[in-house]
Amino acid sequence: MTFTDDVLMAYADDELDTPTRAAVEAAMATDPEIGRRIAQHQALRGRIHSAFDKVLLEPVPARLLQAVRSEAPPHGGNNIVPLRMRGARRPAWPQWTAIAASLIVGVIAGRLVLAPSGTGPIVMRTGQVMASGTLADALSDQLAAHQAAAGPVSIGVSFRSKSGEYCRTFAWRQTSAMAGLACRAADGWRVRVVDGTQSAAAASGSYRQAASPMPPAVIAAVGALIAGEPLDAQAESAARARHWRP
Amino acid sequence: MVVTVVVRSRSMDSSGEDLRDHIIELLPRLRRFARSLARNAQDADDLVQITAERALAHAAQLRPDHSVAGWLFGILRNAWIDEGRSRRRRGLLLEPEDLAERVADPAAGADQELLCLQSALSQLPEEQRLAVALVLVEGFSYKEAAAIMGIPVGTLTSRLGRAREALQSLLSETPGAPS
Repeated sequence: MTFTDDVLMAYADDELDTPTRAAVEAAMATDPEIGRRIAQHQALRGRIHSAFDKVLLEPVPARLLQAVRSEAPPHGGNNIVPLRMRGARRPAWPQWTAIAASLIVGVIAGRLVLAPSGTGPIVMRTGQVMASGTLADALSDQLAAHQAAAGPVSIGVSFRSKSGEYCRTFAWRQTSAMAGLACRAADGWRVRVVDGTQSAAAASGSYRQAASPMPPAVIAAVGALIAGEPLDAQAESAARARHWRP
Repeated sequence: MVVTVVVRSRSMDSSGEDLRDHIIELLPRLRRFARSLARNAQDADDLVQITAERALAHAAQLRPDHSVAGWLFGILRNAWIDEGRSRRRRGLLLEPEDLAERVADPAAGADQELLCLQSALSQLPEEQRLAVALVLVEGFSYKEAAAIMGIPVGTLTSRLGRAREALQSLLSETPGAPS
């Protein structure tokens, strides 16, 4: 008796009714090729399943829990695309805050990262948007209380996020001015939000004088992520001494 | 009449809370499913977030006889398809070097086996990839997977068969392949 490969696949997936299953098993006894093909299907299934199973062990990101628990779920959640967030139709504050943690950077980063040089302050590494070079150094070393007024990077607030990592806001005032928020991970400073719009450019010039120097997207992201109060100068210095490890 | 309204609105409130609990419970599986579709973990979690938000916004569409899991996976599937279309429209970006960089960076400690499978999956047509994601990654039955994809079981089976054949040949020369 011969079987199509779809039947053997269904056998491997335990999808056959009892009579067909019995017929396959009877045929297997006389034709080793059938058993070999079934084993192949089972091996592929097992390989795929066990590789992706590891994802179940990862901690669920706080922003997803937050999205489920937020009291007023934003309607039209399909609009959560970074470019849209930068447009005129900005959601009201509570929804904006709730989703700010997610408004990353894929597309924004695409604009910055894929610049021909490829060596800017923000780069794509292992699927993450990371601070690099001067910006990364400033995030690691620069204290808000002691920074040169004319330096390329100005650090704003530093704080612990709800998931325990250290995050810092920054303004970058080189040819392409921008402001953003980065959080310390094992592999470096992950950029969570970047705003390269005019407000950010303006902010970079008068960063510490202005009453509300950071772009709204960055402020909202701080509000969504922060646990407790921003670090004071002493806590900031202590965190730096620990290399921003939680 | 008033009583009816009150009772209904109460039951909707409580089912809203139930739905949140259901979604939270399913978040790890939704993340795994999204990871088998999207290019990287960030995009995958974006899909999960869109799914949660759409589900909460459209909770009224969930009928009592629906499986919550099937409904949520269906929303995620639609979100992924929408996202793919809009990405193609924008002509973006990030895709080729994305995977290449991750594979090329051993310092990432990335799971090479997972990357290898993701890379093979990404070469399948959308509908075959969904069949693999639902049946082989998530362990849905053919019937459940077909319902989530809105296709007959026979169509699901043939897509799954073609997908497996393609994967066998894509993976046959990589380490870890079954002998």
